[in-house]
Amino acid sequence: MARFILKRLGLALITLWLLSVIVFVLGQVLPSDPGRSILGPLAAPSAVHALDHQLGVDKPILTQYWHWITHFPGTSYQYQAPIGPILTSALGRSLKLAIFAFVILVPLGIIGGVVSALNAGKPIDRTISIVGQSMLTVPEFVSGIVLIVVFSVELGWLPVSATAPTGSGFFTSLKYLILPVIPLVMVLFGYIARMARVGTIEALESDYARTAILKGLPRGVMIRRHVLRNSLLPTITVVATQTGYLIGGLVVVETLFRYNGIGLLTYNAANQHDIPMLEACVLTIGVVYMVVTLVADIAFSLLNPRIRLKAAE
Amino acid sequence: MSRGNSELDRLRDGRTELENHYIDELVSGRLSRRDFLRRGSVIGMSAPLLGAIVAACGSSSKSTSSSGAASTSSAPATKGGTLRIASVTPAAAVNPLTVSDAGGLTMLNQTGEFLIFDSNIKLQLQPMLALSWSPNTDGSVWTFKLRPNVKFSNGAAMTSADVVYTMQQLSDPKNASNALSAFGGVLMPSGVKAIDPLTVQFTLEAPNGNFPYAVSSDNYNAIIVPKGTDFGSWQSTFIGTGAFKLGSYTTNVGATFVPNPNYWGPQPLLSMTSFKFYSSQAPMILALQGNDVDVIAQFTPAGAAAILNSPQYKIIKLPSANHRELSMRNDIAPFTDPRVRQAVAYTLDRPGAVAALLSGDGTVANDYPFGPRFPSTDPTVPQRTQNIAMAKQLLAAAGHPNGFSTTLDSEIYEEIPELAQVIQQDAAKAGITIKLNITNQTLYYGKSTYGNSNWLDGTMSLVDYGDRGSPNVYLTAPLTTTGTWNAARFHNKEYDGLVKQYVAALDLTAQRTIAGKIQRLLLQETPVVYPYWIDGLTASTPNVSGLNPTSIAQLYLNTASKSA
Repeated sequence: MARFILKRLGLALITLWLLSVIVFVLGQVLPSDPGRSILGPLAAPSAVHALDHQLGVDKPILTQYWHWITHFPGTSYQYQAPIGPILTSALGRSLKLAIFAFVILVPLGIIGGVVSALNAGKPIDRTISIVGQSMLTVPEFVSGIVLIVVFSVELGWLPVSATAPTGSGFFTSLKYLILPVIPLVMVLFGYIARMARVGTIEALESDYARTAILKGLPRGVMIRRHVLRNSLLPTITVVATQTGYLIGGLVVVETLFRYNGIGLLTYNAANQHDIPMLEACVLTIGVVYMVVTLVADIAFSLLNPRIRLKAAE
Repeated sequence: MSRGNSELDRLRDGRTELENHYIDELVSGRLSRRDFLRRGSVIGMSAPLLGAIVAACGSSSKSTSSSGAASTSSAPATKGGTLRIASVTPAAAVNPLTVSDAGGLTMLNQTGEFLIFDSNIKLQLQPMLALSWSPNTDGSVWTFKLRPNVKFSNGAAMTSADVVYTMQQLSDPKNASNALSAFGGVLMPSGVKAIDPLTVQFTLEAPNGNFPYAVSSDNYNAIIVPKGTDFGSWQSTFIGTGAFKLGSYTTNVGATFVPNPNYWGPQPLLSMTSFKFYSSQAPMILALQGNDVDVIAQFTPAGAAAILNSPQYKIIKLPSANHRELSMRNDIAPFTDPRVRQAVAYTLDRPGAVAALLSGDGTVANDYPFGPRFPSTDPTVPQRTQNIAMAKQLLAAAGHPNGFSTTLDSEIYEEIPELAQVIQQDAAKAGITIKLNITNQTLYYGKSTYGNSNWLDGTMSLVDYGDRGSPNVYLTAPLTTTGTWNAARFHNKEYDGLVKQYVAALDLTAQRTIAGKIQRLLLQETPVVYPYWIDGLTASTPNVSGLNPTSIAQLYLNTASKSA
């Protein structure tokens, strides 16, 4: 297992380095430049040149890349401030939102999928499938606006913004996150429930499940001990692959609910040609994604001895 | 009447020739009361003096408040409380030298003040850190008397040395100064000098009758900072002379400000202001509706029907020179022929566009950059209206009886994509086929230099221009032969000469005469189509009063209050 983890970490480092090179090169081919982005389209060319020189973006690309490597994470062009604190607070907010979403989404999706599979072909199965698929097609900004209008503007039950006042306690912060989490759950519920349903049906139709039934194991015990354990394998993969989206891809939700996570930070950095900030954001999202997929692989191997044995070989 | 005349004679005593000329114009009726107040303020006549002259002329009974001013002061003033304001997220560091975006501008003026304040509500220049200003005979040297006993929020006294330092940094071509777009060709660092601790003199590159606008809140970077300020780290202190000082600033999240005990004026009524940053307009409107904020600093009509049409909110509507310009390349066929350019202009239904795209919160423009915001506009020039038959006739005369095809480049910004579609549909009525190429602002502006920009290089291009107190920038950069934003490639020696005369003129009558010539010339040539002027909009809940916004996203809160 240790060898497996070390191998995965090595590959992750190479991937991250390649990612940094790609983002840096792509940043160079974007139209305009940081000076123009900061000063605006109507700024005098002399002012733009002066700012570009001040930022060092008029130097050769290799010099810029070396400077970035040796000063990582460096200073943001856009905010003229160290990237570390800005990135850390944005990442913290994104993680909080993602974890809260997962806490609601994963059990809900698995329960929905399993209930659906256990009642395959029955009205409850069809209801769960149709509801899940329907929610999947509603864009976050549509469901988000409807939720705000109903629960914040009309009923006044929940806050409009996802950002709790400074110094708020844990439960107050959670209250602020309820509305933004719902669109995410709506978008991902159908996907996870579908995977859980397919996995459960496959497990239910497997030889070991049939054997368990024939040897007289009660249905509940058989489902808990044999079916769930195996049906969760594809679900784990799906949950892991959605992590990147839940950490770095929530630009719409973050905009709508005034929640400054790493998604919005990345989007703004790309728009403003803030290459050091963009690099730091992309690499951070990459690291989170790789850590989560590694954890998923480990969980996968723990649940499936065949994979564990293969890894050991 | 005789009492009024003797009072007027007393007020005339000691006034300059130019000031007496304006008084004559007012008395004769050639200058309206509003225009007299606006022009008088530009040449440095104080507000009490202007008021006294107007009163002596027998018009003191009229209110000076615009609808905006009236709406912002209807609620009773209450002391204390925190005002919550929704504002656009600053796009970059709040650096007085480099700020160019609405979010940054709103932050800048929370603690910073200018020599002069250009009031969109009263449509006149008002003393801020300068008490008075006056030109020499040809308008090439301007002398400013500073307000005494002004202190920065750190307790240091503000003197002419601070003003000289600020203006020299802003006008230095070696600096990354955004103010260079206003100071370029107007002021060099060597032209700024302190005469005494409370007097500053500006020697200009060329005579300029509208120079006070260049050091007013119109030139949004020009807040006065202490001598030696490191602009790059200003965001950590926000040191200024304003009514508030920094409480806290969190990048991308928000900021708080508390009363500045060193403020030269009356202490603000609020005990705190709390700004919440938003990346787009829709969440701001929802926040106002959901009682998460009390004020939206600035918004546009597009997508704001929920608050514009609701009696639950107070809307402050400000006359503004914010507008759009549709340029046609005068050096590329078929736009080399002025009749073709006129034909395009005749197809546009301007009142329809104002109603549909601005919800009526704007004014129809003619095809020149003079409008109701500027007192020098010649109102006798006829308004161009939609006339499809005329457009077809012009096209036929120019050799295009069946119309032609072209491409229009534009940007994704506010209502501009919809305006491009309106232009496309209206032009089609005369047989002109326009293909739209609408991209994000980064792609559209490119490097904002000739040869590197869809905006400046496109055969037709549609762009936004923000509000200015004087039309100088609109007349020069996009339309003169040496202009840096001449997307139309309009090169006309007669026009260049007229603009030079206009910029140098100190006298309103002379400015208006030249403006009339410019207006008629541009209508004839039509290098650029101007669809409309867009009002500035600020919204609040009814319990808020005393807001003082401008149409370039500044929001002064020193007189603001919030009742329970």
